[in-house]
Amino acid sequence: MFNKANRLEKFKDAETVIGASIKVKGNFQGQGNIIIEGVLEGSLKTDSNIFVGDQAKITANIEASDVIITGEVRGNIKAKNYLAIGDTAKIFGDVQYGEISVERGAIINGQLSSINEDNKHTEKIKTEDKATISSK
Amino acid sequence: MHVYVYDDFLNRGKYQKIINRLEIRLTDLGLNGKIIRLAGIKNIRGVIQNEIKLGAKTVIAVGNNQTVNKIIGAIIDTEIYGDFQKKTLLGVIPIGDDNSIAVSLGIKDMEEACQILLARRLEKIDLGIINQHYFLNQISIQSLDTILKIDDYSLEIGARGELRIINLLSDPSTKIQSNPHDGYLDVYIKTKRNSETHLRAKKIKITNPDNKIIIDGVVEIETPAEVTVKRDQVNLIVGKGRMFE
Repeated sequence: MFNKANRLEKFKDAETVIGASIKVKGNFQGQGNIIIEGVLEGSLKTDSNIFVGDQAKITANIEASDVIITGEVRGNIKAKNYLAIGDTAKIFGDVQYGEISVERGAIINGQLSSINEDNKHTEKIKTEDKATISSK
Repeated sequence: MHVYVYDDFLNRGKYQKIINRLEIRLTDLGLNGKIIRLAGIKNIRGVIQNEIKLGAKTVIAVGNNQTVNKIIGAIIDTEIYGDFQKKTLLGVIPIGDDNSIAVSLGIKDMEEACQILLARRLEKIDLGIINQHYFLNQISIQSLDTILKIDDYSLEIGARGELRIINLLSDPSTKIQSNPHDGYLDVYIKTKRNSETHLRAKKIKITNPDNKIIIDGVVEIETPAEVTVKRDQVNLIVGKGRMFE
């Protein structure tokens, strides 16, 4: 899964690429796939997928469908579908995911939680609430 | 009626032969029309606007990128622009250097341009605007220390290289899909550290304290500058080999 060709297959036609010499400041929002190889400070969001390269330094919350991290992220990550964390990744923040894979060597300093489990939990609470209301 | 606008640099002796060849070719193809020589004309805007008022069906820029932009600049944002958009086509016959617009449109040389005028294949193209200038192809600036402000974020570039904002792609080696019908501009940055950046935007503010922006390879302006795009503004006659769908 983590050989370079596989990693980038989904991103070969990425609409947005931020190269290594670029620093982005602010709320960066895209609609297509995004590759970040440079520095980003603020927030990063797309309806599609995000790839964070091994030289990238991100100080931002990230939200996308699939997220692949091989660089440094200081902020919370929400991967609605799939999160892949490579061996060079350094994550300092909480992580939410649909599915996850983590390579040996990756550093994660934060809480990991499954969105699906959260949803099940929320669903359960809603059902219990309904039951309580109907019993009244 | 065809109106051929000859740029002033074509007055130089070295272009006389090619102009003669062009005029013979146009006559052979039944494409002859009125010729306006920009050399010596002070009120270029007035002269071109007048031809459109008189009912020119096709205005053909004979020269280079600057010739095309002179014609567009004479028409856009004027009272006759509506008529121009509805009734007039813009053609290009490239002569001399700085002809990237013709290359984008699939026009290699003067001979091919004549055939393309005859075939009249049409495309509506977006138009880039930077301060009071217009561009079809692109603007460019040295990337080091350039700051771009887009929507809610900014890009700071910390390496030497070239930054281009592209409406109509003219360099096939640039590995991006640029669409001149989508109402977006493509930002493309290639630095000497071999890093490439690209993204799309509708409105971009550019600042760089030390370097100037070059418009379509010919006109230089200072920063700060604001770049926008107007969708489907110009009806252009294009070749089969154009660099866009």
